[in-house]
Amino acid sequence: MYGLKAITVHNGWAMALAGALIVFSGLVVLSFVISQLHKVLMFFEKKPVDFQQDQETPDIEPSEDKPGFLLPKPFPADINEIVRLYKPLVEELGETFYLSELYEILRKNDFPHPHITLTALRESEILIPDGDGVFTWNPPTEHDDNEKVEG
Amino acid sequence: MELLFQFLSNTGYYLADYRHVIMIVIGSLFLYLGSAKHYEPLLLIPIGFGILVGNVPFFKGFGLGIYESNSVLHYLYFGVVTGLYPSIVFLGLGAMTDFSSLLARPVLMLLGAAAQMGIFFTLLGALALGFLPKEAGSIAIIGGADGPTSIFLTAKLAPHLIGPIAIAAYSYMALIPVIQPPIMRLLTTRKERLIRMPELREVSKKERVIFPAVGVLLCCFLAPASIPLLGTFFFGNFLKECGVTDRLAQTARTAIIDTATILLGLTVGASTQGDVFLTGKSVSIFLLGAVAFSIATASGVIFAKIMNLFLKEKINPLLGAAGVSAVPGSAREVHLVGQSEDPENYLLMHAMACNSSGVIGSAICAGILWSFMVGL
Repeated sequence: MYGLKAITVHNGWAMALAGALIVFSGLVVLSFVISQLHKVLMFFEKKPVDFQQDQETPDIEPSEDKPGFLLPKPFPADINEIVRLYKPLVEELGETFYLSELYEILRKNDFPHPHITLTALRESEILIPDGDGVFTWNPPTEHDDNEKVEG
Repeated sequence: MELLFQFLSNTGYYLADYRHVIMIVIGSLFLYLGSAKHYEPLLLIPIGFGILVGNVPFFKGFGLGIYESNSVLHYLYFGVVTGLYPSIVFLGLGAMTDFSSLLARPVLMLLGAAAQMGIFFTLLGALALGFLPKEAGSIAIIGGADGPTSIFLTAKLAPHLIGPIAIAAYSYMALIPVIQPPIMRLLTTRKERLIRMPELREVSKKERVIFPAVGVLLCCFLAPASIPLLGTFFFGNFLKECGVTDRLAQTARTAIIDTATILLGLTVGASTQGDVFLTGKSVSIFLLGAVAFSIATASGVIFAKIMNLFLKEKINPLLGAAGVSAVPGSAREVHLVGQSEDPENYLLMHAMACNSSGVIGSAICAGILWSFMVGL
């Protein structure tokens, strides 16, 4: 048997149409699901704070069990604020130090996102590599700070 | 003297006929195309050599031929007729595939779906030419341009056609640079070919890890018959993306897929014994395969043009041609055609998105066709 008759007898039209519809609908559903995937993940994830964004930081109460350190929540967006918070810690480490030492202190004091913050400090050239894996602390001068505030 | 004559009458030189010669010429052509022209060498060289091996005339009953139950080649062929090698190849493919571009632009998955229309048009064509439904389904899957999928489905539906269908599928995959560009150019204007695609967003690791789990569930719930292909495919991809099984992923995408490809190619090639392969049906299968592949390419391109009627941000319709699952050949061809118009137009990553969705689409089609044919 040949031709259109063969297609009809073997139920070819229905198979072709149904097959095409099924594969199409399957991939449309998969496509829709994966298009929403990143939104769902974003919903469940706490997004790290972008240091470039201007964000209002709420007033922070000094914590009794961690004297001397104010930890604003969320983490300060302003790099100068970070410098102010980190300064006493860095001074404990001496003139040159390893990043792992600083990281360990930050972790012990429950600073949020220490990796991100250290990266931001490096990018802002406040943490300067001194060769052999050690770093030095190079905070902006008071004058610069004032300029930034005024600006 | 009698012993000498008896020996000579059992040699290949004495037993050879014109069909063996034709097949040996075809096998040599495959070896030439693979080694000298670099057309899909990883596929054509094992198949070409298999054709040579399978077409050495031999004395029947020695347990030498691939169709003789106690021969070594027959045992190796077991992986083909059971669908084992295609599943293993899919495991390796999954461990190689990066779905980032697809996750970044999920709409391109529709082009992978559109390119599967070639399969269903060819199903109708094969039925009209007098093939039985199971044979027609096996021939139609050539339109998916996926060798392992074609072999898998044919092994399940029409095992007697594995040789011609596998050879047709792999031949057209190797001939992508010849078949696809004219169709792409014919169906698109220069202005359309110049369309630039926006840069893809960065895809998080979590998305890439979750995708194979979501993919396997959605696709296999829809077409459970595609589990042997998509199950291993997405499993391989999960091994790659989860980040804690690098050794397994590395083995899957190197040693395992290479072993399966060698055995698959060699035994499929050897299954093309002249007396079994050179029939009128094989010629029809080759013709239908060409039609299937061309329609698949055209469907993808035309669907991309239809999508452009509704999309604000137009997509380059050349990408539709990458909706067939010949990875990465068709994606590379789309990129090259795009670059021939505008050397600074980089379509490769977007084309890979269509290509990887084509792999998923053709495996779903195989599952659907298998389900339809149950009980026929």
